[in-house]
Amino acid sequence: MSSIYLEKLVMKRESKSFIDSLYAVLSAAGQFDGPKYLLSGLTGMAFKLSIHERLLPMSVTAYGQWGTEHQPAVDNLGYLTITDSGRVRHSTFRHFQQAAIQDTRQNLDQGMGVIYWIPEFGVIHGYDDVDRVFFAKDGISSDDQIILYDNFGLNFTSFWYYQTIGEKVDIPIEQSILESLRLAIHDWDTPFKLLPGKEVANGKEAYTYWINALNSGDYDAGGAMYILDSHIVSRTEIRNYLQYIQGTWAGLKDVVGLFEQLLQHMEIAATCIVKDREARRIDPTFLQLFIQSLESARLLEDQAMGIFKQISAGFPDPKRTTLPRWGTHSAR
Amino acid sequence: MPAVLLDGLRMTNATQSYIDAMHAILSHRGWITCSKSMLTGMTVAGFRFTVQRSLQVESTTAYNWMAENFIAADFIGIAASQGAGFNFESTFPLYQKQAVGMIKESIDNGIGVVVWKDRFVVVAGYDDDKQVLYYSDGEGNEQGIHDGLKSLAYDDFGRNETPYWYYQFFENKIELEEIEIYRESLIQAIYKWETHDPMLPEGEYACGRLAYDAIISAIQTGDYIAKDGASVIGYYAGAKRDISLYIRELSRMWPEIVQAAEEYGRVAAIFTEVACLLVEWRQEISDIALNNHPQVTLLVALVQEAKEKEANAIEKLRWWMRESLDNRFHDIGLR
Repeated sequence: MSSIYLEKLVMKRESKSFIDSLYAVLSAAGQFDGPKYLLSGLTGMAFKLSIHERLLPMSVTAYGQWGTEHQPAVDNLGYLTITDSGRVRHSTFRHFQQAAIQDTRQNLDQGMGVIYWIPEFGVIHGYDDVDRVFFAKDGISSDDQIILYDNFGLNFTSFWYYQTIGEKVDIPIEQSILESLRLAIHDWDTPFKLLPGKEVANGKEAYTYWINALNSGDYDAGGAMYILDSHIVSRTEIRNYLQYIQGTWAGLKDVVGLFEQLLQHMEIAATCIVKDREARRIDPTFLQLFIQSLESARLLEDQAMGIFKQISAGFPDPKRTTLPRWGTHSAR
Repeated sequence: MPAVLLDGLRMTNATQSYIDAMHAILSHRGWITCSKSMLTGMTVAGFRFTVQRSLQVESTTAYNWMAENFIAADFIGIAASQGAGFNFESTFPLYQKQAVGMIKESIDNGIGVVVWKDRFVVVAGYDDDKQVLYYSDGEGNEQGIHDGLKSLAYDDFGRNETPYWYYQFFENKIELEEIEIYRESLIQAIYKWETHDPMLPEGEYACGRLAYDAIISAIQTGDYIAKDGASVIGYYAGAKRDISLYIRELSRMWPEIVQAAEEYGRVAAIFTEVACLLVEWRQEISDIALNNHPQVTLLVALVQEAKEKEANAIEKLRWWMRESLDNRFHDIGLR
């Protein structure tokens, strides 16, 4: 019977919840002391844009099958990472749940927090065998969330997910930067990642879904605000990341300029928001202006990806020219 | 430390598939007693039908190992863990070390491990002093040590002809209703027949029903190597035969589907014939002579017939499973 409580682990919701979680885990373990945007950029996570056709709040985390999306992200930092996840309905869930509980405890014993779908993504930073509970942070509340061992993985969504971070190899920074551009290109050019479902679009197509939903008027008002806020944060992270890496290859300076412009359009979009009895929403008078801002953003981002592609074409790319034996699949 | 070896764990290599390895390990552990044909059906693996458009041998293993091999185990109530990746990744050495550790742990628990060593093989032991894993790949004893086992250095794990590393170990058995396993497999069979594997580019690969059209097109254009094409079609002849036996077994309980078993039996026979014909004549004529060549006409007619037979079989299964299908076919995941 033992217990652990990682006092140093701090999580703050700013970026995508997965990155906030990863940042919290690595920082607490003394393994990362750079700015968060660097983590968002190198993992390619900042670039991910996914939009549900009705702008539901889940859009922000619906950027694909998580294992498939997060593995290359963490790979690019050089860490070994183990993920387990699935659908609670699977007959083997209870077995994996027990294995995950033990694995989570062991990682905490080694001082490593564990990324966990609460939802959204948060970090398990402690356990107590006597009360049979985990302590988790969601980055919003300063209070811990308490998760009973018996309820590990159970939540209002139908899936469970946890991820641990292990040893590290050093990857030359230029190699990581190049890979991050390629992760961005792939996301931009992959319209649907949850096929056969098409309720959520990604990358370039996501902008189209966003604009169509606003035009139709049939959308989730709260989700629309969450998507906008996340977008401004992630595009700011991209701009900062690009400023950081702009000396690596010719052309990246131009991309910084494109994202500067994109952010100006997003600022305009933000001015179209009114506060209506505590709830924020798009002022109907300025709906078209808001949509125009998104159209400009889509165009600028497309130009940026064009430059990324030119840079990428100068180097061999075995990861994307070799067919894998994992990755995209339909839920079954 | 002496070598750790699992007594009597050997792979018998009927079809060179994942199921050969899985069947050997689960039988050895005592978690299953069924035949390989039954396992092929229950895990849905035998219903997978994917071809690369010029019928390269890779066709039979070009699928999502992580998704399909995981769910194959899940369908029969076996909890499995696995890992896979490219061996040219910077992080590969970390994963190699992790994999070897997990493989040894499973051997210590008395359970063999599926490993990709240019095909699916069974790891049945290890030796820390020599830093090697011992595996069985279904071939004879000639080059073998330890009674037919071959050795693989820890450092060579994952270094294959193709850039993939993969392993899977089985951890637990959850008791499921047999009848539910059978029902689920038939639903999944229909799904596989209709659905393209999203991991594979459609320009290069075809799945299920469309795989037949791809085979016909390859035969007509001559864009394949006879030996490879024959090997791929021969492999699927084995899979269709397994499915025929599987459905025949189920038809003892559900006589309504016996016709599907017969259709699959006929598909298997046709595939065997096509595989033989391909080797016999293809090298001997030029591509220009392919048009209207009587052998091409014959082969196309045979594959077309096989397609109709399998379509009939699937229709039979669809009719039999119609209620479950209506309830959830908009989302196959709702099981």
